[in-house]
Amino acid sequence: MITFFLVLLQSGNEYNGGAVVAMVGKDCVAIASDKRFGLELLTLATDFEKIFKMNDKCYIGLAGLATDVQTLSEELKLKCDLYKLREEREITPKKFAHLVSSTLYDHRWGPYFCEPCIAGLDENNKPFICSTDLIGCINFAKDFVVCGTTARELYGICESFWEPDLGPEELFEVISQSLLNAFDRDSKSGWGAVVHIITPEKIITRHLKTRQD
Amino acid sequence: MSDRYSFSLTTFSPSGKLVQIEYALNAVKQGVTSIGIKATNGVVIATEKKSPSTLVDETTVEKISLITNDIGIVYSGMGPDARVLVGKARKAAQKYKRIYNENPPVNMLVKDVALIMQEYTQSGGVRPFGVSLLIAGYDSNGPSLYQVDPSGSYWPWKATAIGKNMISAKTFLEKRYTESLELEDAVHTAILTLKEGYEGQMTENTVEIGICQMEEIVDTRGNTVTVPRFNKLTPSEVKDYLANIA
Amino acid sequence: MALAGEDFCIVAADTRQSDGYHINCRYAPKAHQLSDKTVIGTSGFYADGLNFVKKIKQRMEWYFHQHDKTMSTTAIAQLISIMLYQKRFFPYYVFCVIGGIDENGKGCVYSYDSVGNAERVQYQAAGSGNELLQPFLDSQIGLKNRSNENETLNLTEEMAIKIVKDAFSSVTERDIHTGDCVEIYIIRKDGVECQKYPLKRD
Repeated sequence: MITFFLVLLQSGNEYNGGAVVAMVGKDCVAIASDKRFGLELLTLATDFEKIFKMNDKCYIGLAGLATDVQTLSEELKLKCDLYKLREEREITPKKFAHLVSSTLYDHRWGPYFCEPCIAGLDENNKPFICSTDLIGCINFAKDFVVCGTTARELYGICESFWEPDLGPEELFEVISQSLLNAFDRDSKSGWGAVVHIITPEKIITRHLKTRQD
Repeated sequence: MSDRYSFSLTTFSPSGKLVQIEYALNAVKQGVTSIGIKATNGVVIATEKKSPSTLVDETTVEKISLITNDIGIVYSGMGPDARVLVGKARKAAQKYKRIYNENPPVNMLVKDVALIMQEYTQSGGVRPFGVSLLIAGYDSNGPSLYQVDPSGSYWPWKATAIGKNMISAKTFLEKRYTESLELEDAVHTAILTLKEGYEGQMTENTVEIGICQMEEIVDTRGNTVTVPRFNKLTPSEVKDYLANIA
Repeated sequence: MALAGEDFCIVAADTRQSDGYHINCRYAPKAHQLSDKTVIGTSGFYADGLNFVKKIKQRMEWYFHQHDKTMSTTAIAQLISIMLYQKRFFPYYVFCVIGGIDENGKGCVYSYDSVGNAERVQYQAAGSGNELLQPFLDSQIGLKNRSNENETLNLTEEMAIKIVKDAFSSVTERDIHTGDCVEIYIIRKDGVECQKYPLKRD
């Protein structure tokens, strides 16, 4: 029984593949993902973005089982929109992180096979990032967070590339190079990438062309 | 019972009034006066604590209740009803905190409590609550003070009173209140307002005061941080205030 | 890990030996010098690694006595592949890389899987931290994903050592099986030098 659950847990996260990474910069944050959608090793689409906008200063990237990625992103968007109507203000990234955490934990014994990365700026435009596991245990990081089938590759390369106080353009370069080189070593992710840089003034979104194999 | 229809006891009179709610307001008007004043740097709520007999151990009677660390409630009207509401308000606050890991802002808690009170004006087999509440708290929008009535309607106030002497107390407050009022003065004003309609001698055991303001605390990591806190004054603190006034 | 430059080669390995969450030894060398021109790095099952290196050295000795010369790096590379494949159905649990100087005096690296599949490469990471290391090497030495495709790398020894140190300190940060100390073997035309560099011990 437990073995079956662990197999399900493992395969759920690795069925479709994907890579998401978020990084803190100086007065800005970046979040990036690959664009592959596949069934195990068969690639079906190369325009499947895994990052979703909750509001102007809060984004979430979801890596894992694609059906759960879509369902969860819609559920979270609904919750954010209702929050905005109820409280007449935008949700802060930190509160959103706890919202995600409690939403995931509500499904403790039948979880969404998703690992979220959250990136945003709080009410004082202070950068915030975090990631959680599939049942909502939050990891508050000060530097970068990664998730998906490419997590180990990302950890290695981000650990080398990331440094404190990067400006928006430098951060873009670091997160792009980290993601690209990491997912080139993972057969389950790649096929294009998208990067969002969130600054107090604006959001810069760039689509990256990459090798298609 | 549950498989049968049950009707709301609160139904419209031909003239369009909900008399049950008006009766509930009458119950509030018979209740002990409570005062609330919002200052620039905090809020104060205060009430009298009348015991029916000198034999009652008044140290155990509590009319001001904490809902979260930074929100307090005082009531005028029926004590048992108020305790039910305090329980529900605390539960609502914890529900919010379970989801967002933050205490609810005052306006959200007020909305939740008001929603509960409104439900009791429309649901079958129940009567409205015989209390009005003053909810005082401090959040990212600064200090705030709300009143919630049995009907479920609520207002933000700069200063207000509910209960037996509410009309004269409000007139008194209108004269005393200024926009630049600070918390210390607000406490004095609250005591003076209560004193206006007070029958008999006011002592530290017969008046209850709650204050909400920013406070420095040491958090779990040993850092000193400034956070809003709602505190009830101890009898000795109340005694000092009373001494200052007299 | 190992990487090759124009006329030199580097083989580096940390010295932690662990079993699950337990650290058996903080100084258990995984890299071994085979000749003046060749160094091997092993990972996987430590005992298999030691024994495998012992057997290679034995075969090299026989070779020396028979042919009156030291085995060249390319010959060792072929030998390792065959020795691993000979145990195809009960393999050595060893993932090795060798680095050295070939007959033309150029740096070379060969990487293997546990059953003898061999490839000559410019750089290679092996072992528990290989997923963490390899993308970094792709970027810094392989110059992958650069906008200027004609960019070429003139890898000097100082640069290479710096990259190795950076790589190992990054991997130590996130891989619990890597740490304590890294041994860096620098193989030049005129011999082999071994430098030790401390890593985090947590």
